[in-house]
Amino acid sequence: MIKFDNVSKRYADGQEALSDISFEVSRGEFAFITGHSGAGKSTLLKLILAMETPSSGQLIANGVNLNRVSATQIARHRRQIGTVFQDHQLLHDRSVYDNVALPLEICGYPPSDAARRVRAALDKVGLLKKEKSFPEALSGGEQQRVGIARAVVNRPSIILADEPTGNLDPGLSAEVMKVFQQFQSVGVCLLVASHDAALIERFNCRTIVLEGGKLLADQKPRPLA
Amino acid sequence: MSATKRRNENPNQPRVKRNTRAGQSESLIDLVKLHRRIASGSASRLLQTPASSLVTLFVVAVALLLPALLFGLSSNLASLLAGFQDSAQVTLYLQDSVSEADGQKVSDDLLTRRDIESGYYVSPSQALDEFSASSGLEDLLIEMTANPLPGAIVLTPWDVSPAAVDELARELQELPQVDVVQVDSLWLQRLAAISNLVSAIGSVLAVIVILGLFFVVGNTIKLAIESRKAEILVIKLVGGSDMYAARPFLYTGLLYGLGGGILATLLQIIVLATFNSNLEVLTQLYESDFQLRGFGLMSSLLIIVAGAAIGWMAALMASLRHIRAINP
Ligand SMILES: Nc1ncnc2c1ncn2[C@@H]1O[C@H](COP(=O)(O)OP(=O)(O)OP(=O)(O)O)[C@@H](O)[C@H]1O
Ligand SMILES: [Mg+2]
Repeated sequence: MIKFDNVSKRYADGQEALSDISFEVSRGEFAFITGHSGAGKSTLLKLILAMETPSSGQLIANGVNLNRVSATQIARHRRQIGTVFQDHQLLHDRSVYDNVALPLEICGYPPSDAARRVRAALDKVGLLKKEKSFPEALSGGEQQRVGIARAVVNRPSIILADEPTGNLDPGLSAEVMKVFQQFQSVGVCLLVASHDAALIERFNCRTIVLEGGKLLADQKPRPLA
Repeated sequence: MSATKRRNENPNQPRVKRNTRAGQSESLIDLVKLHRRIASGSASRLLQTPASSLVTLFVVAVALLLPALLFGLSSNLASLLAGFQDSAQVTLYLQDSVSEADGQKVSDDLLTRRDIESGYYVSPSQALDEFSASSGLEDLLIEMTANPLPGAIVLTPWDVSPAAVDELARELQELPQVDVVQVDSLWLQRLAAISNLVSAIGSVLAVIVILGLFFVVGNTIKLAIESRKAEILVIKLVGGSDMYAARPFLYTGLLYGLGGGILATLLQIIVLATFNSNLEVLTQLYESDFQLRGFGLMSSLLIIVAGAAIGWMAALMASLRHIRAINP
């Protein structure tokens, strides 16, 4: 579903954020991406979302060759991906409900259908009571959960999450991970960037370790004893 | 969970299709509701900055008003022209040798023609009386021994089109009693030429104004897009197309054009009222009840629709160009 083939990313200022990365993630697979700050986790997710283009190497996600894509293809590609951004990326002049409904509105869902899905998504992240609030009135963790609800509301084929639990306490983190696992069980491919070692340890999934832009390790889940 | 299970059966199929098939009328109502919401969102944004919105609205209105006024003036001249042509007259000046009785007879004969509506004979002495009464030169004329004025027949043709009148004049010229045939059409032609010129200036101005409106509305939209860059970026990140992100701005452009068009037709009423009150002094002198007519319903609608269309198109061009440039 996602295939990195010797991908490197050099930013305009010459900074090599990723070098020679190769790995593959298939449908229904859940992988953590970990590494120190600045290791290139966000960059890797941005490449999949076509926010950046690879400097070299080949990247294919969801059947789309991301080395060469038109604006229309990018929009269509992103509609298949649910993304939790490290910096939330919420619309500040829209309510929590409208923020979560945005991907559905873009896809042209009828409002009644959308309403059901938005409430279901908000329920999953425990924010049903806050649907009328505006992002400014929410805590960092609540904003993060709005982003998570928005990422899953459209039932995407791929979920990318950049530090989705960065502002959450262990209890909430575990719940969010469970939501993600539900999607994994129905064939969604998940990539979760995190440096929460305890969380990664606890959930025992495939873990891709980056170090200074290089792929340091690709650890398969430990076999259950 | 049951919902996500359903998803599992067909993970890559676009799900939207299924929903639109469910109920056409329902989805149409939804679409109307959605667009009404976008439009009212755009409207309330305009109201958030009332001063600058009003300035833009006024610029659009004045720009639309100028060519419209010229077209209006041209059509007023044309209808003024038509009014004169209705009363187009052909005057036959008779030979000096024709006596009063003969002149009267020629006049009566002409009245039996099918192409002549009405007419009357003016004898040389009647002509002299009329002339002296209107010129105020009675004393001078009394001194004159012979009447220098010829007899005349004044005819009103049925068909007042220039071609028909010319044809009639040529025929009447052949009559032996007729000295000169005079058709007062030269100044009408000049007036028609002026009317055409005014209309041509209006067309040129309309082109300039449309270009200007594209610039004004485009620039306003550009500023609006810049102030909402973060929002557009989010929309693009979750898969919104450029066209989707442009929709609120298209309504902004549409509202400017629509509002400008309505304001232009209102301004037009004020302008005409001012003109007409000045014109009254002039028309009283000419014993005319001529009045400048307003744009009328159809022309007013045309201005409003044209304004809306220009506003929308300008917004479309500007927003697609500037939204395309917004990238993470
Ligand atoms: N837009 C950019 N322009 C130039 N350099 C960039 C840009 N974005 C990231 N970088 C650089 O690329 C490297 C990788 O950044 P990235 O954001 O991918 O790290 P990260 O692993 O997500 O870190 P963190 O855990 O702090 O979020 C960093 O050295 C960063 O300075
Ligand atoms: Mg990061």
